[in-house]
Amino acid sequence: MAYASISTIALSLGVLGAFVLLAMGANNFAASQIGKFEIAVFMRGNVNLAQAQALAASIEKMPDVASVNVRSREEEWATFKRSNPNIESAGLQSNPIPFSMVVKVSDASRTTYLANKIRTMDGVHTVNDGRDMLGCVMATARVVRGISIAGVIVLLITAVFIISNAIKLTLYARRREIQIMKLVGATNWFIRIPLVIEGIVFGAVGAFAAWVLLRLGGSYVSRLAERLPMMARFSSGVDPAVLALVLIALGIVIGAAGSFVSIRRFLHD
Amino acid sequence: MISLSGVSVEYENGVRALNDVSLSIAKGEFAFVVGATGSGKSTLLRLLYREMLPSAGQVMVGGEDVTALKPNEVPFLRRKLGVVFQDYKLLPQKNLWENLAFALRVIGAQPREIRRRIGDALAMVGLTHCCDAFPHQMSGGEQQRAAIARSLVNHPTLLLADEPTGNLDPDTSWEVIQLLDQINVRGATILVATHDSQIVDRMKKRVIQLDSGFVVRDQHKGTYQHSES
Repeated sequence: MAYASISTIALSLGVLGAFVLLAMGANNFAASQIGKFEIAVFMRGNVNLAQAQALAASIEKMPDVASVNVRSREEEWATFKRSNPNIESAGLQSNPIPFSMVVKVSDASRTTYLANKIRTMDGVHTVNDGRDMLGCVMATARVVRGISIAGVIVLLITAVFIISNAIKLTLYARRREIQIMKLVGATNWFIRIPLVIEGIVFGAVGAFAAWVLLRLGGSYVSRLAERLPMMARFSSGVDPAVLALVLIALGIVIGAAGSFVSIRRFLHD
Repeated sequence: MISLSGVSVEYENGVRALNDVSLSIAKGEFAFVVGATGSGKSTLLRLLYREMLPSAGQVMVGGEDVTALKPNEVPFLRRKLGVVFQDYKLLPQKNLWENLAFALRVIGAQPREIRRRIGDALAMVGLTHCCDAFPHQMSGGEQQRAAIARSLVNHPTLLLADEPTGNLDPDTSWEVIQLLDQINVRGATILVATHDSQIVDRMKKRVIQLDSGFVVRDQHKGTYQHSES
């Protein structure tokens, strides 16, 4: 019965842990994509470098702006000519590209607000804040977060239920022993304490086994992710030692609580 | 030692196991509770070791109102009692010595005390040669004597036996009852629920007869069947 309890705890916590790590990975992935969003600001044609730099300085002072980088007109023109080699022969001799700048924001949710503010500034021609794409990614992140929280709650309840049943079966197998202990005058605490300690040990051993499973599974997933460049940033970001501590603490709490609650039934029979 | 006044037990399904039972058993007495299956014998014993509570009435054991005990006081009542069952209730994975030691460890006895008390109890029931035997390696009579030894290790003042000879042949049954008689001679009060007419007739002890939860006879030096003598 010990094996049944430990393996049930290991599998339940393993599935729960895998879900949590995947959900955290998805959240981190979404967050990393949001972090890539920036506002592209294009000046009017008559704005010179000094004016562009003055505008950049005033944008940089705005709250939630991480950095402002004024692009060099010459570099932009050179890049444009590289990708359009026939542009000069087509009659475009001088550089028509206005000054532009890239504004990085520290809070992605403020992107649209900042873009609107920049749009009203003198000398600004066009502001591109990637609103549609940003909204899509943020909505996806919200859905992923919602599903993760709901999934973790459901899995946690299921794990507690399954583990509590496994402990109940273990205790059922020992009901004769418990009955005799009661008969010869054992106090409820005398009966309860060793069984709760047993629940704690089962919980801790099961959680450790779950941690080993997750580490093995995690390294396999990492190897797979290395082959997919877009998945390179897919990581839960959880330290294995922290994961072990959290799982073992959870195993101990569930083991102790499961034993404590299940024993009550046998003590009050 | 035991006093019941106006005790009734009604189960949730409406069956009345005991009806207004009043009786008393003095310290040092040996009494049989007899009656057909379902007459209320086991229910009466279960009330005494507070395995259940009556629907009405008062149950006194050793001067203590057991119906008024709080749940955390029940173990201390049981430490003063010995209880023996038809199915022995020995732990199959423990040998005889460990079965007895288990009962003593439960109440916090020290190792030296455990050794001394087990030695005395096994000598009393004549099983000193079986210390290492597991229950399945012992005969029915030996297992019942082992169960009696376990009930004796706490030096109980009251020993309750629920059908202690139910699984035994007549000769072994008689040995077990003789053993209970010896324990009674040493001062313990003994109450035996049984429907074994032979041992009741041979012992000529007090007989309390139950029928459908009513005490229909309470006779000193009685027999299993009612006789006027």
